Order: sequence, then C-alpha cells, then structure tokens
Amino acid sequence: MRSMTKFGAFCLGVALLVVAVALPARAEEVADAQAFVRTLADKAISQLTSPTMSQAEREQGFRALLKEHFDVPAIGRSALGRYWRVATPEEQTEYMGLFEDLIVSTYAQRFRDYGGENLDILGASKPAGSEDNAVVVQSQISRNVAKPIRLDWRVAQASTDPSIVDIVIEGVSMMQTQRSEFTSVIVRNGNKVSGLITELRAKTKALAPK
Amino acid sequence: MWADFGNGAMRISALIVASMLLASCASAPEGDPEALAEFKKLNDPVEPTNRAIFEFNRGADRYVIKPVTSGYRAITTPEMRDGVHNALQNLRSPVIFANDLLQGQFSRAGTTFARFVINSTLGVVGFGDPAADLGFAPHDEDFGQTLAVWGVGEGPYLMLPILGPSNPRDLTGKVADFFLDPINWWASNTDNDWVPLTRALVTGIDARDQLWNVLDDLERTSVDFYAAIRSLYRQRRMDEIRNGGTGDAPLPNLTGELDLKDLDAPVTSRH
Repeated sequence: MRSMTKFGAFCLGVALLVVAVALPARAEEVADAQAFVRTLADKAISQLTSPTMSQAEREQGFRALLKEHFDVPAIGRSALGRYWRVATPEEQTEYMGLFEDLIVSTYAQRFRDYGGENLDILGASKPAGSEDNAVVVQSQISRNVAKPIRLDWRVAQASTDPSIVDIVIEGVSMMQTQRSEFTSVIVRNGNKVSGLITELRAKTKALAPK
Repeated sequence: MWADFGNGAMRISALIVASMLLASCASAPEGDPEALAEFKKLNDPVEPTNRAIFEFNRGADRYVIKPVTSGYRAITTPEMRDGVHNALQNLRSPVIFANDLLQGQFSRAGTTFARFVINSTLGVVGFGDPAADLGFAPHDEDFGQTLAVWGVGEGPYLMLPILGPSNPRDLTGKVADFFLDPINWWASNTDNDWVPLTRALVTGIDARDQLWNVLDDLERTSVDFYAAIRSLYRQRRMDEIRNGGTGDAPLPNLTGELDLKDLDAPVTSRH
C-alpha cells in the first residue's frame, strides 16, 4: 500500500515537472510563430505576385524566401523517408539540389495567379507529442467566391530563427504527399534511390523556365 | 424501380468484387521487414489493377470529362458556378443532416438544418449562401465518414472507374447515402429516374470544376501522379472525418492505413 502511494507521488512529481518544463515556452513560442508566418506571407505577396515578372525572376525570388524561411534540408530528408539512410552521400547531395528545384518550380508559379486574396492568421497551437517541437499556425485564404481555403504552417523552433517544415492545405500535408510519391517511385525502381533521382532530373528539366 | 436499382447495384457490386478477385495483386515484399511494413502501410494490395483503372480514368477525363467541364466553364461565370455548387450542396442537406445526427454531432446538425432553411428560401433554392454570412458555415458529411466515426476501418485503397479514388468503407457510404436521400425516395416513388441521373451528371461536372486547377497543377508537377492522388485522397478523408480538427489531436498515420485509435482522441473542431 505504502509503495503504491510512493509510486503515485512519484508519477505526480514527474507529471508536474513535465508540465512545468513545457508550459512557460508555449505562449511566447506560439505568438512568435504567428508573427513569423504573418511577416513571411506579406513578404511573399509583395515580392512574388507582380504580373510583369518573368518565370525566372519569380523563381529566383521564391528560392530566396524558401532558403531563408524554410528548413529545406529537413523537409527534403522527411520527404525521402527511410530511403535517406539508404542513399549514398553523392545521391543525398544531388537529391537535395533536385528537391529544392522541384519545390521552386512547383510553387513559385502559383503566385503568378494571385488575385488579391487575403491570408488571415486564425491562431496557433502546439500539438502535444510532435517530435520536432513544432508550432502549427492556422490561417485561411479568403476568396471572393467559394469557401476560404484552410492553410496550416508547421513552424519548427530551432535554436536560431523559426523555420517552416511543412504546409498543410485543407488537411493535406505537402511533405507527406511528396513522400508518398517519392517512395512509390523508388519502390517501382527496385528500391533504388537512383531511380527517383533520374525521374527528378527529368521533371525539373521539364518544369524549368524556357 | 427499387428492384431495378437493387439489381443494378448488386450486379455492379458483383462485378467489382469479381474484378478484385481476378485482379493482379501486388506481391508483398519478402525478407525486408521495413519494406513489408511500408507495403502494409500503403494498403494498396491491388495497385496494378488500380493503376490500370487510373489510366482509363485519365483517358476518360482527357476525352470526355474535361472537355464537357471546359464547355460548362465557357458558358458560365465563376459566380454562376459557385451558385450551382451551392445549390448541389443544399440538395445534399438532408443526407448531411442525417450523418451529423448519426455521428452524434447535434450542434452541427442544427447548423445543417438552419442552412437548409435559410438557403432554400433567402438563398433562392440554394444558389446563394446567405446562411454562411449569418454565421452558419458550410460543412459536409457522408456515410463513409459516419462509418469511420463508428470505428469502421477504410479497407484497401480502390480506384473506381470514373468515380475515382475510394475504399470499401467510402464506397459503402456512397451507396448508403443514395438510400438516405429523400430526393431519391421521391424520384423512385414517382418514376422520375431522370432526377437522380441528371443530378449525378451535374454533380460530376461540378466536382471536376472544383478540381480544375488542382488536378492540372498536380499532374504537371508530380513525379508519380497516381501516388500523389492516393495520398491526397487519404489525407483529405482523414481531415473530413476529423471535421478539420487539428489542435491537440495526435496526427494520424497520414501515409498509410487509417488507424482508428487516432480517432478516439478528442478532436477540437474548427466549425
């Protein structure tokens, strides 16, 4: 009986400690993450949406923002999943370059069709038990017609500046979608990362500004 | 008509089951436990057949569905298409309402009811959405989601001809929703079979229109269009089942099989 009480007290102690450690960081981190996403969105809208920009100019501007505010190496590693460990150092290097190119050519052009939509930050929260200690900032893009689009930003709290590790549109994680594609390509190529690299080379070449 | 419909549905189901049995199955990888775990997580045992159907669907889209939708877009403005979408959603209200109730979501059922009343009157038979401006935001429910909330697993991924991505749970849900819909009761009792047919056709065109930019963009930028669609479908369904909730709900196993343990956690709904 006594040992049970002791055990209970121990558990309570651990629980309190966990709460004490976890709590103070929260409010500040969450507010910082929101401000960070707001600033980034404003920057992107002011720098990437001019209709007179060429595709190359837009991609250049997008790449600069991407490198500054997204943790591209972390996203790239996650998108490759368990095959990151299987890949040779040369494959890892080439993959990272191609991955960045693919992200740039996939998303940069979307800013061309910007029609004055607003991005509203709705709030932020810190999901319990996320391994990367990320804050999720919730926002929505309002359009003139139809329902607004929900957009969640996963912001990792690194020791230095915050950086984005995933974007979730209407519940669809861009990183997860990319990972399932990459995995599928690798499996179809006999579990070889080189097969994915070949396809990424062809895809980025096809998407590059002419 | 009920008997006819039942027979037709039975025949189609039998055909699907038969083709599934005959389908060439992807062989499970042996020896490598990590690869095996991934195969199970992918939960797409009839992938070769699914991919063949996917290619068929792409052909149908290219030569029929997309040209028809393109014609529809040519003769309408974005506002008109939005109105058609609203009206179709308004027609779905009784089914959404029933599924809200079946999931024990009484406040959402109230919202659905209020929307139906407001939009059917002030919204001119549903073309407008004044209810949204009054604070009754739209949401969708179907019997596939209800089954998920009740704890039914999704089963293996299925690519259906024309209808697109699905699974046994969501396919069952589609059939159940058809029978839940009072418009279909009325149509069958009054021999107005053209009503559900026309509605299905317009719903299909509207669905393709809703995906107009998304699908083109995804096809252009993806290295495996089929895998991208599979992942998108599962993640969207997961999100719909959780009613768009995020917050402290644990992230589900997004790439793979729906793990119903994830659904037991309290979900904070956005609506």
